[in-house]
Amino acid sequence: MLQVRDASVVFPTSDGQSVHALDRVSLEMPPDSIVVAVGASGCGKSTLLNAIAGFLPLTGGSIRLDGAPIAGPGGDRGVVFQKDTLLPWATVLDNVALGLKYRGVPRRERRQRARELLRLVGLSDFEGKPPYELSGGMRQRVGIARALATDPKILLMDEPFGALDSLTRETMQQLLASIWAQTAKQVLFITHSIEEALLLGTTIVVMSPRPGRIVARFDVDFVRDFARIGEIGPIVSDRRFVELREEIRALIHSSPAAEHGRLQ
Amino acid sequence: MTITTDAPIELAPAIRSLPRPRRAKPVAEGTVAISVATLVALVGLWFAASHFGWASPLFLPSPEEVAVQFQAVAQDGYAEGTLLTHLASSVWRIGIALAIAIVVGIPLGLSMGLNRWMRGVFSVPIDIYWGLPPLAYLPLLIIWLGIGETSKVLLLTLATFAPICFSAQAGVRSVPAERINAALSLGANRLQIFTSIILPSALPEILTGIRIAIGAGLSTLVAAELIAARSGVGYMIMSAANFLATDVVFVGLIVIALLAFALSSAMRWLERRLVPWKGKI
Repeated sequence: MLQVRDASVVFPTSDGQSVHALDRVSLEMPPDSIVVAVGASGCGKSTLLNAIAGFLPLTGGSIRLDGAPIAGPGGDRGVVFQKDTLLPWATVLDNVALGLKYRGVPRRERRQRARELLRLVGLSDFEGKPPYELSGGMRQRVGIARALATDPKILLMDEPFGALDSLTRETMQQLLASIWAQTAKQVLFITHSIEEALLLGTTIVVMSPRPGRIVARFDVDFVRDFARIGEIGPIVSDRRFVELREEIRALIHSSPAAEHGRLQ
Repeated sequence: MTITTDAPIELAPAIRSLPRPRRAKPVAEGTVAISVATLVALVGLWFAASHFGWASPLFLPSPEEVAVQFQAVAQDGYAEGTLLTHLASSVWRIGIALAIAIVVGIPLGLSMGLNRWMRGVFSVPIDIYWGLPPLAYLPLLIIWLGIGETSKVLLLTLATFAPICFSAQAGVRSVPAERINAALSLGANRLQIFTSIILPSALPEILTGIRIAIGAGLSTLVAAELIAARSGVGYMIMSAANFLATDVVFVGLIVIALLAFALSSAMRWLERRLVPWKGKI
């Protein structure tokens, strides 16, 4: 179980002031959940993920994973980045097996595990290719497989489909929903797309900027239907889905900073 | 449910019947013929200039004369050595110097990229001497080490060391932070980060540094041989110039040009083999 308690991150700025990127954010993630943080740019959603990943120290509060405080990045939290971070000199298979190699898993064993994961993300035919010969969507699939290979307690995904075209993006959303249904892996997902949040989350936290705070929380269940049906159409036209989408949109647009932005 | 992959979609027959767009040819394929034609034209111009008396043979020997002289120098030698022995001593000097510069420069540059103290201590002295033209401190090296091979090899080592060292440092500094973060989240320790992420990420920069070092080394080598040597292609050129043997000077220049071309081709081959991803990410 991941517990975030009063987490704050304050950055000093060049003009001597400070920015509260994250202001006393608390969040509990039960196992088997997909928590999606959604909000406008600068609302601290990526800061929250980076703090949980251990890339960024907190200036206040605490983050615990199964009771143990987080001290820096570690293999118990798998990360999928917006821009792929695959190694260009290694094949797709070796990229997926990288975390297992770091753990000293014998070559045969780690390749076998990597092949299973490539099958899960539908890339079995590409194991010998270098990453730069793959499309953006395929590279993100490799990134997901790589993060899953070491069987982390939680998967942290920082706008992983943000740079993809809308068709590829839908395919990737289906893939993630199906992986989640198969593995029951706990996921924290960051996005600025309200629709994506509703499609993929079991819990949605809406964040607002300056200071970065959680302003609302919704427990939803569209992802189970989505994983079962495998189609976006019936889900997004559901009346409850549309109502929630508009409610969250209104919340994001009514936050003080958004107002401020509109006035400018 | 099904998971669709990014497989190509079957083109509709209507689209298939459209004329195919012309595919752009790779650049290398497109310029080889042009480059060869340019070379032929230049040799033709040289031929014309020497045959129609546009320039005195003393200043501009004809291509045939140079070819004949090339063979003579290769067989009988010039200035106490055949072409091959001159070439061998030049290549030996630059080879030893490059080897030392690579063996010392890469580890030092990497450690400067990783460690604040190493960077603080070494960057200033290297910056200072790298700013000097190598020939400016050659006399000092000769005073300290004599006229023999040691001073020349040291001169070339210094000339090639700085670009290699700095490129290794820059290579370390250019590793994307996300790549390191990703490896840390996969459970990598510090040594694994270095060997599996930093070193291969720095390799393209290091190879670029070696390429620059070869250029700097070659120009320093020939200049040093013109000034203070008893062998080498530069020495051969200088000896020939003293006797106004312009054709031998041309032979020397052609040999140096071929050597430079061979070395840069070797580096290009090495880059293709070692860093095929360069420019693709």
